Amino acid sequence: MSDIAFLLLIFFISTTIFRIEAGIPLVLPRPGASPVRISPDDVLVIHTSASGLVTLDGQPVTLREIEPRVRQRIGANPGLIVSVSTDPAAQYRSLVDVLDELGKARATRISLRMGESG
Amino acid sequence: MARVQRTLRADVRIPVASMADIAFLLIIFYMSTTIFRMENGLPVTLPEAESAERLQNEHLAHVWIGARGEVSIDDRIVPVDGIAPVVARKLQADPALTVAVVADGRVPYRVVARALEELQSAGALSITFSSDPQAR
Repeated sequence: MSDIAFLLLIFFISTTIFRIEAGIPLVLPRPGASPVRISPDDVLVIHTSASGLVTLDGQPVTLREIEPRVRQRIGANPGLIVSVSTDPAAQYRSLVDVLDELGKARATRISLRMGESG
Repeated sequence: MARVQRTLRADVRIPVASMADIAFLLIIFYMSTTIFRMENGLPVTLPEAESAERLQNEHLAHVWIGARGEVSIDDRIVPVDGIAPVVARKLQADPALTVAVVADGRVPYRVVARALEELQSAGALSITFSSDPQAR
């Protein structure tokens, strides 16, 4: 009996894959929702160019600088909306990098858009 | 002086009577936690993110986007414009569905943005960008 139990045990141990999935959750706006007018003071634009260069309100920054700067801006203005604009040719990885930094900075109001380099 | 004689007669034997019980307990644990991977998806290199949160396995559907921009749902390659009807059908079956976008880090953002539009038009508003929780 216990032989069978051990056989089954070995089978299940060897076939088990602990699938740990992780991700950055987002809630998209409803389709067709009327665009909300927001004051430019409440918007922080983070743009990623096709080559992966990140600018924060026009100033080039490194990824590590994003978190403290966004945190500081949210501290000053809790209603801040971070507009993450990404060049269509940029790698998806660079968007996730920026979202990761925003997640660490506890920025919850994020707007995603596709932007040409500007 | 009296001599106290101590005899060490401790019998060293590991009790094995409950071994089978332990084995069965472990079997039950593994049986209940095993998820047989039904979906193969596409080979993707996920982007890394430290702030990634763990996802619940229930109410989760995957949209795979490969490095060359190919999209796969339920192991079937669908065109990017064909995501909405498939996801809409899944959403009808399970309104609490969260769609995990499992995209390769090297894919151009254009493709992901197009996929997001499709998900939005299908009404799948709760999404998540799958990522590797390892530290950079």
